[in-house]
Amino acid sequence: MTDRQPPMQDRTQVRRDIRRIKNLPTVPGIVAKISRMVENPETSASEVGRLISQDQVLSAKVLRMANSAFFGMSRKISSISQALVILGFEVVKGLVLTSSVFDMIQKSMAGLWEHSIGCAAASGAVATLLGRDDAEEILVAGLLHDLGKVVLALNLPEEMRQVAARVASGGVLFYEAEHEVLDYDHSELGQWLAEHWNLPESLAEPMRLHHRPEKAVLKPECTAIVHVADIIVRAKGFGNAGDLLVPPVSMAAWEMLGLRKTDFLPILEILEPKLASLCDITSIN
Amino acid sequence: MKRIPIDKAQPGQILAEKLTRHDGVLLAGQGSEITEGLLRMLGRMNIDTVVIEEEETRSAAEVEEEFRRFSEDLEARFVRIDEGSVLIALKKTMLYLAEKSRDETLALMADPAEGETGLPGSAAAPETTPAESPAAPSGGKSPGAPGAAK
Repeated sequence: MTDRQPPMQDRTQVRRDIRRIKNLPTVPGIVAKISRMVENPETSASEVGRLISQDQVLSAKVLRMANSAFFGMSRKISSISQALVILGFEVVKGLVLTSSVFDMIQKSMAGLWEHSIGCAAASGAVATLLGRDDAEEILVAGLLHDLGKVVLALNLPEEMRQVAARVASGGVLFYEAEHEVLDYDHSELGQWLAEHWNLPESLAEPMRLHHRPEKAVLKPECTAIVHVADIIVRAKGFGNAGDLLVPPVSMAAWEMLGLRKTDFLPILEILEPKLASLCDITSIN
Repeated sequence: MKRIPIDKAQPGQILAEKLTRHDGVLLAGQGSEITEGLLRMLGRMNIDTVVIEEEETRSAAEVEEEFRRFSEDLEARFVRIDEGSVLIALKKTMLYLAEKSRDETLALMADPAEGETGLPGSAAAPETTPAESPAAPSGGKSPGAPGAAK
């Protein structure tokens, strides 16, 4: 979507609603710890690996995602330190974050987790086609792009009900219904959450701007890829992002990526077997 | 093909992908049959999923019906997209892939032996249109080979 830059007064409305949110989702303690460790250049992969491995449930979830069709590893990743070496700090941190908020995503909206993993796989597919060497990081950005919807569903249930009712009446995209009901949308709640949690720009900007990717300045390509991936996974009808419609594409983002219409075929050919294989992480519990 | 948790795997199912131990050693090749012994071994090795060939349980009419429903749903999802949008190529490509998959399934039903050799898993180039399929039930309706749509 190219319009809908929210007018100034919306900011105060967002702030007012955010003040109403009593149970601020806290950044999972372990994610904060990893961030602090990674900031220190002396930190080794095995130290971070040891920290994550202390939580066996969390490690198991992270390893399950690392071994899923997402990454298409030919060999099984059997330890967190191996995942750190193969996938990198940022990706493992993203998977730890995802595992920590998995229950929240599942509880918030039926189909949103499936939409999220579908968007992650599609982000990975587009990034792969474009020959990006940071495909795994872009994939994690796709995984978390709709966290703002989780904040909405869990903290503003009455507004959420109204938005859902508006969508059910037909023809309206979820974020358009959000604007009608709230004067802002989940991308702004996502921005707030990203600031609150101190997430890196590679995750924060796609969360904030996946509906307005032409506004991205820090991670424009990553944001544009998540924007296109969101469209592709909605077109597939995989999962449920709150409505069942394909939103318009931002031509600025499309052209910046240098995509062509003929690229849809190879993207879908990469994506389809991945989606078929993602059943092993539709529930990572 | 379908990835399933190991506790859902049954002896007699066919592996659609080779199975390797965590260190890369081959346990069972692609196309081999799952046995009781293999399942016990996988249980001991903490391998939690396998990829199997899906058995076709649908009738030809059901395959057709499923495709018809798919294209209806696809149209409904694209209702907000203008005819001039690049996303129309996305819709056409998805329709093309669905038609191809339907035609391959129907061809396999008509002649299973023929189908065995024509199961490359991933699709052929778009130039090989579904027209070469013996089952082409949609008559002259071209899916609009997406490659043509620049």
